[in-house]
Amino acid sequence: MIYLDNAATTKPNLAALEKAKTYLTEQYFNPSALYKEGYTISGELKKARSVLLSKIADETAFELVFTSCGTESDNQATFGFARRGNAVTTAGEHSAIAAAFAELKNKGIAEPRFAPLEQDGRVNVEKLLALVDEKTSFVSVMHVNNELGSINDINAIAKLVKQKNPRVIFHSDGVQAYGKLPFRLAKEVDLYSISAHKLGGLKGVGGLIKRKSLTLAPYIIGGGQEAGRRSGTENVFGIQQFAFAAEEKFSTLKADFERIKTLRETLWNGLDQTIFQRLSPMDGSPYILNISAVGLRGEVLLHLANDKGLLIGTGSACSSNAKTRYSKVVLACGYNEQVADGVLRISFSSATTEAEIAEAIGILNEIGRDLRKRMQ
Amino acid sequence: MKSGAICARECNKKVAKVKKVIIIRYAEIFLKKKNRGFFERAFENNMQRALKGYTYDLVKQSGRYLIENFQAEEAEEMLSKLQKVFGAHSFSIAQETSSDLDSIFEAAKSYCLESGTFKVDTHRGDKRYPLTSIEISREIGAKILEYAKGKLKVDVHNPSFTVHVDVRDHGKALVFGEFIDGANGMPVGTAGKGLLLLSGGIDSPVAGYMMAKRGLKVDCLHFHSYPYTNMQAKEKVVDLANILAEYTCGTRLYTVSVTHIQEAIHEKCKAELMITLLRRFMYRIAERHALHIGGQCLITGESLGQVASQTIEGMTSSNSVVEKLPVLRPLVGFDKNEIIERSVKMGAYETSILPFEDCCTVFLPDFPAIRPKLSEILREESKLDVEGLIAEAFATMEKMEI
Repeated sequence: MIYLDNAATTKPNLAALEKAKTYLTEQYFNPSALYKEGYTISGELKKARSVLLSKIADETAFELVFTSCGTESDNQATFGFARRGNAVTTAGEHSAIAAAFAELKNKGIAEPRFAPLEQDGRVNVEKLLALVDEKTSFVSVMHVNNELGSINDINAIAKLVKQKNPRVIFHSDGVQAYGKLPFRLAKEVDLYSISAHKLGGLKGVGGLIKRKSLTLAPYIIGGGQEAGRRSGTENVFGIQQFAFAAEEKFSTLKADFERIKTLRETLWNGLDQTIFQRLSPMDGSPYILNISAVGLRGEVLLHLANDKGLLIGTGSACSSNAKTRYSKVVLACGYNEQVADGVLRISFSSATTEAEIAEAIGILNEIGRDLRKRMQ
Repeated sequence: MKSGAICARECNKKVAKVKKVIIIRYAEIFLKKKNRGFFERAFENNMQRALKGYTYDLVKQSGRYLIENFQAEEAEEMLSKLQKVFGAHSFSIAQETSSDLDSIFEAAKSYCLESGTFKVDTHRGDKRYPLTSIEISREIGAKILEYAKGKLKVDVHNPSFTVHVDVRDHGKALVFGEFIDGANGMPVGTAGKGLLLLSGGIDSPVAGYMMAKRGLKVDCLHFHSYPYTNMQAKEKVVDLANILAEYTCGTRLYTVSVTHIQEAIHEKCKAELMITLLRRFMYRIAERHALHIGGQCLITGESLGQVASQTIEGMTSSNSVVEKLPVLRPLVGFDKNEIIERSVKMGAYETSILPFEDCCTVFLPDFPAIRPKLSEILREESKLDVEGLIAEAFATMEKMEI
């Protein structure tokens, strides 16, 4: 099996799993408990928090709140700060932001505004800025687009947004960027969402990085964990495993970045370009290659690849519902429905090998040619 | 604390005293004379199957059944299972008491509303009972009036509620408030076996339901077009078969791939005949399979004129390949909204409308032939290796016990 759907989730880092195992079997205590054992765990959590945060941000200016996933982090950010006037985001966001913005409108909290995309999947910054005015309370721009891999320069965008309206709270969904891009948060970015399972962590663990001086109105309330910002007993094992996995990931981040970039180029150059069109920009995240078999259906290719042992993602579904059928992001880039229908998302991890890429090229070309022949 | 505990125990005793019984009245079975036993046995088996996992006693009485000795708090749950068993006309959840008037009255009280009008309706199975039915009703009615202190009135023509009293043998009486509708129809398995062509849509599960209601045992056949359709579409059909199976006392779901047939038609035949030709293949496969599993008819969810392939010409074309079995189309005269109504009622609608394609739309022509001519169909079909394609389809068959 060749697994090239790492943008959906990655294989858990087994070494990190082993290291963190003690928090399942021996050190299972509640970190809020007052006896030594509990207190020790709370100290260990602090270390994990510091490891995860320090990789991309200045610990004196930022802090990390653990959540259950990237979606929760995005929702917490949106509902915590888009509380009046209008809120601005892009047409390319993950549904965790897109649906939350729709909810702002449904509940009459704030007017959602969507900035259009360039054809390469990045937000059109000029048009984004035009939507920001004195009534804007919240702006969210994703760091790496989860479908195309396009990179928004969020540090620069945050600065421009704050120049226009310094009261705006700026958030970025960094789920596809954290642990993959060489990057550090600028002080203009107030909030940043991360997720464990995209870099060898487990599902069910996420985090929201926030500027320290920012007061967060908690979305989940209860026992007052995470300094009252996110109640609920911490997933100690998941968090520790996340920290171990991230430690490893960041130690080879730059080398992986370059290597995967080459692999992605190899893959794209090996594909039959009379069948496949590339939608991902080559200067985007190397971990994602989005292509379209124009005129063919992405999901059918997905099944055919599946039968040959290649696991990839798609941007469309065999849905009779036209609303949910096509990727909104691909359409927002200005592509037509034929292109959108043929979308395949191939995504890598640092574990992806050259041999796998070579085999994937063979399979994709074969099924693409096969299906095109069958459809003629 | 202590007195509270004692009180709780006493209350429990009081609750335990009330014995609940589910009364099951059967529907058309009572019309049967000499072979009634056959229908009753099937009905009993089907009820027992529906109540698998519960402890209870099923007692047969003339024209009805009683379910006794079950956990009182499971009554509603058991009833909802029984409501899916064809053959039952109605149910009541009754209290069993001794047949003296005071005990009957005690039970009757729990069925009284706070205010309004009522009547007492008595049925006296035990003819040795000293009072007649009318006298019993009168006595219980009088006790209720006294108990209600003027808040209730008797109205025998249009009461807001009725208390039913059923005086049985051995000094027992059943008291209950309402008649709950059963699924009616005939017990599944008493009318033979049919093979339902089950798609992922709204109509075919309803068609299966309708024929099971007339006593047919229903097995299902589903055609899919993997890789053009996805796993979710197949899963949806399994879900629908599970919903249907609650009414059909279980079912078998057979799935067959027709991808290669669609590809062959796409390659060799006129585009507008895709559906017409494909349906002929489906009917052929279905008939052969039905005969193989001992089925006596095919069942489809076709409704006249609903889509291009369900015109009378379309039906003629697909029907003409079925040689030995009748094709039952229980929905043929139904409007879509009538079908939807039944789908909602049987609990399939929510699943049926999930937006997964159940048959390939990749090969769908823009304008399918609405009134295909048989001569043209035969000419196009002659371009295909019909027997070879059918054999290939059978090789993909999978079976699932539900």
